[in-house]
Formats: sequence, C-alpha cells, structure tokens
Amino acid sequence: MSDVTETESLTAPIADIIDNPVSGIDQTAGNFSYKMDYEFDAGTGLSEKTVRYISTVKKEAPWILDFRLAALKQFYAKPMPTHWATKDLENINFDKIRYYLSSGQKPKRTWDEVPDDIKKTFERLGIPEHERKFLAGVEAQFDSEAAYSNIKDVVAKQGVIFVNSTEGLREHPEIFRKYFGKVIPTGDNKFSALNSAVFSGGSFIYVPKGVKVAMPLQAYFRINAENFGQFERTLIIADEGAEVVYMEGCTAPKFSTSTLHSAVVELVALKGAKIQYITVQNWANNVFNLVTKRGVAHEEAEIKWIDCNIGSRLTMKYPGVVLKGRKARGEVISIALANDGQHQDTGAKMIHAADETTSNIVAKSISVGQGRSTYRGVVHIPKHLKGCKNNTECDALLINPNSRTDTYPAITVRGDRNSVQHEASVSKVSEEQIFYMQQRGLTEGQAMSLSVNGFINDLARQFPMEYSVELKRLIDLEMEGSVG
Amino acid sequence: MSQLEIKDLHVSIGEKQIVKGLSLTVRSGEVHAIMGPNGTGKSTLAKAIAGHPSFRVTSGDVLLDGKSVLPMQPDERARAGLFLAFQYPSEIPGVSIANFLRAAVQARLGEGEELDATAYYKRLYSKMDMLQIDRKFTSRAINDGFSGGEKKRCEILQMAMLEPKFALMDETDSGLDIDALRIVADGINGLRSTNLGVIMITHYQRLLGYIVPDHVHVMWDGRIVKSGDKSLALELEAKGYDWVKNELVPA
Amino acid sequence: MSSSVTTTSSATGSFTPELFAAHLASVSHLPAWWLDRKREAWARFMALPLPKRTDESWRFATLTGLKLEGYALPPAVTVAELGHAPIGIAKAGKLVLANNRFVTQEAISAELVQRGVIFETLQNALLKHGDLVKSHLLAQPVKQGSEKFSALHTALLGDGAFVYLPKGVELAEPLAVFHYAAGAGAAIFPHTLIIAEQGAKATVVDFFRSADEGAHFACGRNDLYASHGAQLTYVAAQTWSRETLSFQSNATVARRDARVQSLNLHLGGRQSRHESHSQLQAPGAHSEMLALTVAHGSQEFDQRTLQIHQAPHTSSNLLYKNALLDSAKTIFSGLIVVDPDAQKTDAYQSNRNLMLSDDAEANSLPGLEIQANDVRCTHGATSSRIDAEQEFYLQARGVPKDDADELLTFGFFEEVLSKLDNAPLHDALVDLIKLKFKKPAGAS
Repeated sequence: MSDVTETESLTAPIADIIDNPVSGIDQTAGNFSYKMDYEFDAGTGLSEKTVRYISTVKKEAPWILDFRLAALKQFYAKPMPTHWATKDLENINFDKIRYYLSSGQKPKRTWDEVPDDIKKTFERLGIPEHERKFLAGVEAQFDSEAAYSNIKDVVAKQGVIFVNSTEGLREHPEIFRKYFGKVIPTGDNKFSALNSAVFSGGSFIYVPKGVKVAMPLQAYFRINAENFGQFERTLIIADEGAEVVYMEGCTAPKFSTSTLHSAVVELVALKGAKIQYITVQNWANNVFNLVTKRGVAHEEAEIKWIDCNIGSRLTMKYPGVVLKGRKARGEVISIALANDGQHQDTGAKMIHAADETTSNIVAKSISVGQGRSTYRGVVHIPKHLKGCKNNTECDALLINPNSRTDTYPAITVRGDRNSVQHEASVSKVSEEQIFYMQQRGLTEGQAMSLSVNGFINDLARQFPMEYSVELKRLIDLEMEGSVG
Repeated sequence: MSQLEIKDLHVSIGEKQIVKGLSLTVRSGEVHAIMGPNGTGKSTLAKAIAGHPSFRVTSGDVLLDGKSVLPMQPDERARAGLFLAFQYPSEIPGVSIANFLRAAVQARLGEGEELDATAYYKRLYSKMDMLQIDRKFTSRAINDGFSGGEKKRCEILQMAMLEPKFALMDETDSGLDIDALRIVADGINGLRSTNLGVIMITHYQRLLGYIVPDHVHVMWDGRIVKSGDKSLALELEAKGYDWVKNELVPA
Repeated sequence: MSSSVTTTSSATGSFTPELFAAHLASVSHLPAWWLDRKREAWARFMALPLPKRTDESWRFATLTGLKLEGYALPPAVTVAELGHAPIGIAKAGKLVLANNRFVTQEAISAELVQRGVIFETLQNALLKHGDLVKSHLLAQPVKQGSEKFSALHTALLGDGAFVYLPKGVELAEPLAVFHYAAGAGAAIFPHTLIIAEQGAKATVVDFFRSADEGAHFACGRNDLYASHGAQLTYVAAQTWSRETLSFQSNATVARRDARVQSLNLHLGGRQSRHESHSQLQAPGAHSEMLALTVAHGSQEFDQRTLQIHQAPHTSSNLLYKNALLDSAKTIFSGLIVVDPDAQKTDAYQSNRNLMLSDDAEANSLPGLEIQANDVRCTHGATSSRIDAEQEFYLQARGVPKDDADELLTFGFFEEVLSKLDNAPLHDALVDLIKLKFKKPAGAS
C-alpha cells in the first residue's frame, strides 16, 4: 500500500468495502419533502462554521455532523493534485464560493441577460419554452413536481426508495449508512473530502432484491433542490438481482453562478444486480466540474457508466468500478467534447479484485478550436487472479489545427491468466472524406457534422433516445462554429 | 437540355502541370468515354472539375449551362448538378448509407423544406433493389469494410438518388470482376436518359462493351489527341496505347 | 525544492566527494572544458534527491531498490582477466572497454580512416577531435526522470566509444563496442557517441556485460545523431549479472530524411532503468525504436520512452516487447508528443507483454500529447499469456507443452528481431536469449 499514489487510491476502497449482506431492510418508501424553506445565509467561504450551519439547517443526526467535520479536516490537509493534474486548478478561489444556498437566495438573471448562443442552443435542441427559463437561471424553480411524484409513486409500489441525500440519511440510515462513504472514502482525494464536508442534494436510491425498475430514474426534475447540484451526493444501492437505470444532467447548457461543482456518486451493485448510470453534462463555461464516481460490483453484478461531457471550463471525472465479486462486469462509455477554453479531463478506473471479472472502456473525445481533451485511465489486475479481461479503446478526433488531446493510461497486470488490451488513436477528419461528402452536395460544415457524429455514433446509441438526438444536434452546432 | 463545357483546361498539382489544355463539350443525353494510359491526367481532370482542393486550375474554364463552376465550392458544384463517381470512395465510419444520402438529398431541398421520410425510403429501396444491393446495407457505415464491387455499386446508388445533370465516372470499372461489372453497367444504363450527360473515364475498353458511348476521346499527356465514335475504342484496344503515342501525338 | 543532503546520506551512497576528486585527478589530462562540465554535473548529482513516490516519471518503479551503497570505481583489468568472448560476427571494427578504461581493439581499415571515419575511445576523441565532440557530447537534456543519474554519469564518465561517419560513407559491416564491469561492487559509466553526417550509413552494436557474477553498478548513456539522409542502426545487448543495478539513457536526434533504427535487448540486472528519447527534428525524419526484454526471477525492467515530433512530415514507430517469467516486473511508459506545427506526423507505439507466470507483473503507461491535428497517432498495449489455440496446435502435433511455450515465446521475440537487416547479428542476439533461458531462474 505504500506504493499507492494519490491518483490511484486503489486499495483504499477495496479494503473498506463492507462484506455484510444487506438484511432486514425496511421496505416502506419514505416521504419525500420537496421544498426546503430556509431563510439563513451561510455566506461565502468554507469554515467549520459553514459546515455546522449546513448540518443544523438539515437537522442532521450527530454522526453526520462528525462525518462532515472530519472531512473538512481532510480537505484542508490535502494539497491540490497539480503534480499530475492541470495547474488551472489553482484558479479556484475557495473563499469566494458559497457552499450552501437556500432556495430563496439563488441569484437570478433576466432573460435579456442570457447570452445569445445559449438561446440559440435551446432553439436547436428544441427545449420546451417553460424549461428554458429554468435552465438559463432566469427562474429558480422548475415546476415538475407532478412529473416527479408520478415516478416516485410508481416505483414506490415496487419498494424502491428514491429520495434526496438529507432524507435518505435521516429516514433510512439502516439502509444507507452501511455504504455511505465506503465506496468513496472521504480521504480519496481533495474534492471527495470537500464534498463530504458540504454535500447536499443528490439522490439516495435503494432497489430491493429482484426488483427491476422499469423506467429510468431521473435527477432532472430535482435540480431545483438546493444549490443547483453544486455538491450533490448520490448513493444507489441495488440489492441482489435488482436492476436500475439512473440519468442525470441534460444536453442543454445549464447556468450556474457557482464556479465549483464537486459531486460524489457511489454505486453498490450486490450479487447479480445491474446499475446503469447515465450522465450528460453541459455546465456553463465558467464551471470547474470535479467529480468522484465509483461503483462496487459484487458477484455477477454489473455497473455501467455512460458519460457525456460537453460543458464546463474544466471537468475532471474518472468513473470507476471495483470488481469485487467473481464474474463482476464493469463498463465505462465516455464521450467528451472540448471547445475553446474548455478542458475535458476524463477517463476511467477499473480495479479487478476477483476472478473472471471483465471490464470494458470506450472513450471518444472531440477537440474543437483550442479545446483540450485528456484521457486518464487506470486498469489494475493484481496478483493471483485468473480469467480477468480488460479492453480499452480511446480515440481522439482533433478538428482544428490548435485542438489538443492527451492520453495517459496506466495498466498493471499480474499473472499469466489474465489479459488486457489497450488501444488509442488520434486523428482528424480526413480531407478526402470531407471532399467526398461535399461532392454529394453537403457543405463543409454539414460534412464535418456528419463525420463527427459518425465518429461517436456507436457510443451515442447507448444513450437513451432523447439524449442521443439532442447530442447530435449539439454537435452540429459546435461543428458549425469550427469550420472557417 | 444542359451543357457542360470544358474549355482549354489546364490543371496542376503543386508545381506540376497535369492537364495541359483540354477541351470537351458534353450535352444532356450524351455518353462520352475518355480513355488513356495511366498517368495521363484522366482522374485529375475529373477531380478538378469536381473541385478537389489538391488540384489547381491554372487556366481555362468549366461551364455548366453557360456559368463557370470554378468559383464554386465542391458542394455548390454538386448541388448545381455535377456528380463524381470516385475511383476510391471514402469510408466514413459511423455514418450509415441511409443517413448520408438523406443528408445529401436534404441539402438539395429549399430552405425550410423537409424531406418526406417515407417517400425517401421507398425510393432508396427501389434503387437498391435495382442495383442488387441488400437492403440491410442501409444501416451499414458507408463504404466501411465494403468490397471493391460493393463500393462501386454504392457510388451508382448515390447517383441514382441524387439525379445529377452530369456524371463523371472515374475508372468505375477498376477492380471489378465480370459479375460486378455487369451489375454496375446495368445500373448506369438504367440511369441513362435525355436528362443525364455522362463522362466515363476508363483505362480499359471492356466497360464500353456494356455502356456503349456516343463519343470516344483519347487522352495523352494531359490533352485529348483524338476523338471518334465507339469504334475508336475497339481500335485502341486492338492497337494499344503505343499506337497513340506513335501515331497521334504531334512530335 | 530543498533537500538536506549530506555526503553520508543514501542520496549519494558510495559516490562521495573523495571518490569524485580521485576520478577527476585520473582524467586531468582531458580538456579543461570537459573537466568543468564534470564539476557542474557532480554538484547537480549531489543536490538532486533520489526519486520519490510522487514522481510521475517513476510511477510503478520499486524505489527501494535504488540503493547507491556498496560500489566503488574499480581498478583496471586485462583482456585475459576479462575472459572476453568474441561474438562471432563479421565487423568493421571492435573496441573493448572494461571498468571505464580502454582494454583492446580491432581498428577499422586504413581505407576507412582515410575516408574520415573515426572509431576511437572517447578520451582520444576528446583530445584529438575536441570541437566535434564538444558540440555533441551529452548535448541532449535528460528529462524523463533520470536527471540525478545522468549527472552522475557525466561526473564519473571515464572512457567510452566515439564513432564519426563523414558524409556519404557507408559501412558494410557493423562496428562493435564491448563495455565490461569486472570485480565486486564495480561502478562503470559506459558511453557511446555516434555522429552520422549527411548520407552516411552504418550499424553500431553496444554489448554491456558483467565479467563475473558480482553486484555491479552501471550508469550509461548512448547518443545518436543522424544528419540529412543518414541511416543509422544501433543495437544494444545488455547482459549484466543478476545483481547489477543499471541506468541507461539514450538520446536520438534525427534530422531531415534521416532514418534511425535502434534495438535494445535487455536480459541482465537486478533492476534496470532505460530511458530513450527520439527527436524528429526535420521533415522526412524517421525513428524506429525497438526493444526486447526477457525478465526472469525477480528482475525489474523499467523502460521509459519519448517520441517527440518537432517538424511536419516526420514518423516514428515503437515496438517494445516484454516476456515476463517467475516474479519479474516490467514497466513501460511511452509518450508520443506532437508539437503544434508538426502536421502530417505519423507516430505509432506498441507495448506487448507476454505473461509466462502467475507472479509476473507488467505495467504499461502508453501516452499521447498531441497538439497538431493533421496527424495519425496510435498506441496500444496488450498483456496476455501464450495463445491457447497456438499452444494446443503445437501440442496436437506432438510437441510437449514446455517446448511449445518456448517455441511460441521465441516466435513472440522474432517480430522485433526480424526487423534487423543483419542475419549474423540477429542470430547472435537469439543466442544470447537462449543462453539466458538455460540458466535456472534466480541463479546468482
């Protein structure tokens, strides 16, 4: 363990995973309280006072406050990981950030203040009128309570618990406490520590044994809950044989006054369970989006991360799966689009901890203008395992002369009974291809769009239909700007 | 009735002159064959007319119905009615034939006009059937992993769907076996009409046995040195390209 | 970064100021500018810390193995004491160095000398061709992690080999250089500098050998310069004793239309670190980087490469294969960097690990930093065992499993070795590998 660097933290989560099977769960669904009316103001800057305030406002049990305070200490102790990550991180001013906002305080802007290119994107994506104002930060509330309650009621009949983090820990500690902070320990990295200190919002979901949730559960409707998702904390537990799909985010650009988003997502798939977690991220270009996502897959379980990163100034996100039980499967499908002023630093981590586990990573990135996309991956198959397989493919498409891409995978394999294959390539859309399409009557911009959509086609198809349609339109929009 | 006029065209690649003063007029309904040995500029001619960025027209002009196409971008020329059947069609991973053609057909519609999907697919399938292309191909990425014959048939399919005024066929017969050749030829013959003018560029005579040209031109060292009817092709086949060099080229 | 380094701390180990002073005295006949450089390098060595856990360029390496204690600058040895075994290939010339000193040679022909070819010891070259050597000697920066060891090399470099090929000269046979370490605790600093002028063509082979089974310390460098249109093939065959700690770094500079091929065969040592850096400086430059490593026992082979494309229309191709047995460990970290103006670059990198035991460990860190868009760059890394289908096929033809595995393993090596244009050299390398397989694992 002494050889483990901060970027890896490989053995920490494995060591801390609790082996006890889930038992004696209370299967009644909790009540979801949608509105939180608080008048207080936590101010800017981070301190023990802020943390205590958050905990008080949420009426949390003492153990949660202790958890937050311990996390705060870890956050202060850890240095910025700029020995491997971009120095742009040094531009985050922790003192100027608001770590908690109640709903009455969210800053707004008028529709006139919304930039034209944002309005154009809404138009192109066909976003319904009433959603546009919410997304653009013109309205603080999004009235989707009806839609949300519907979903909640349907799944509640199956015994599914679908609440936010505060409620989850308060009403169902016997279910969630067992895994909370165990998949991603507080000290995993500086930003998981930050989140652990100031988290609020996010989804806590429990799916009982054998229950296959018919429809994808969405976070979209719940964004209006605190802080626009600044420090969301999500924990999804799929009990044995259960199946659930969860979606968060949307292709439409989302306004945020907060420049720092640091979410933590923990997934636990018990024996034979399946969890699919779909994210489409399109934060405004002033946001630092630093997310820690990891899942633990038990015997014959499957965890699949489908991740699309389009927005933000800097996104750092490496969804991971710890393959803890025999024949567990982990997959990361990632699409990243980096335009001027953007850096998408994404990747995947696959930690094999049992025999016959398999992992698959497919990452495709597109760098436009002066955008930069980076892939970082870790594949770790330690000794004495057998029958493990990993396949990684990462492809980068560079559109303009100054577009940039980097790839930094790290693969460790032990033993002669496992196999790993990694391939990466960098290319541009060929001139011949563009000419061919132009000769069929497509403009250069249309030809580029078609090529780029073709490049990500097999990944885009794995997203739910409405996302993949919007994704295609977004790419068309980005490509139009790229050809001179 | 349309006309494509190539007037004393000179084309270079970089510093090197390839086409050295070629003139030719093609009208709707006519099929012209341009034959010549390798390296004589046949493909260059076709690509330059289509507007390929690697080739520079240094003098001369190409007029489509009296209007010069040289100032136009490749896609503008295409929408004006020019079609180039490539010798080596590009592969475009992830883009299906159906979607690609749909985009191309849509590009020709007016501003605000939407493509009627049902009519589109009906037309697409009927053309595919005619060309003996399996309907499953609609969802395959265009030219990706296609055999030589499949690629060429895909070119003809596109021509059938886009209905150009003038088609430049760049060595469409190269790399085809006898069966593939017959299917491609039948496809082209099926598209022959008074609305279409064709320039077939070929090295060998055999395609011309299936698609009988109205005019045959022999190209040598960047220009046309002899023109005739279909019997010229047979004469060329019998005597070989050395005959051209010795007999036809001015000393 | 401050570090409190005292002369007795493990950051410098046996390499004390007294040792350096003694060495400097022994080379006082060499040019003053060279002695000054050595002094600067020594100061750098003393100031730099040993690699740390958080150093990205040492990720996965076993840092506890980098101990600098127990070594000394060894005394001279004679040819007889060396037990030098010739390699049995036709050559244009041979140079034998042992314990940092010249021992013997087979000079190049008079005709080649007359045409301007130089094949000399480095010390002679420093004295006779000072300017030429000065502009090239250790001129390329080391930036892949071994800065401290590179500084040590410059400071304590005694003698090495110098090859100069003038314009248009083509050597039909290879030049061979032997670098020996002899005696327990011997610390040697092998150095080979090769300069090929416009249109020159040659093959140079470095053999790195331990004369006995003692624990040696080898800290070497080879630099290759290929000018306009030159063609250089460089082969290094390393067969240190099993207790040796070895550092080797290479810098290859390829200018316009130059083609450089280098092949490194790694067989010996307890722990070995090899850094290789190819700079494609002008259009048409091409560098082929090949390596073959056979790791037994608890050997650790750490290979770091850098392919850097600085001009348009350049290409590079890397193939590093490792065969891992017993509880051996390999690390491959390869980075392809394409500068913003290096359009039309073709760069490839492939690391293949053949896992032949349950306890072996292979680490791969293939990397890309691409800032030009009109390029083709790919990298790949695979780690797997012997192909079961192929193994079964051989067994079904009556070949016992172990023999089948050995056949397939040599087949795995052949892809790299077959890229050599010289059949006798190819065979000589295969023999070296076979010899290694015959030794029982873990034999000292």
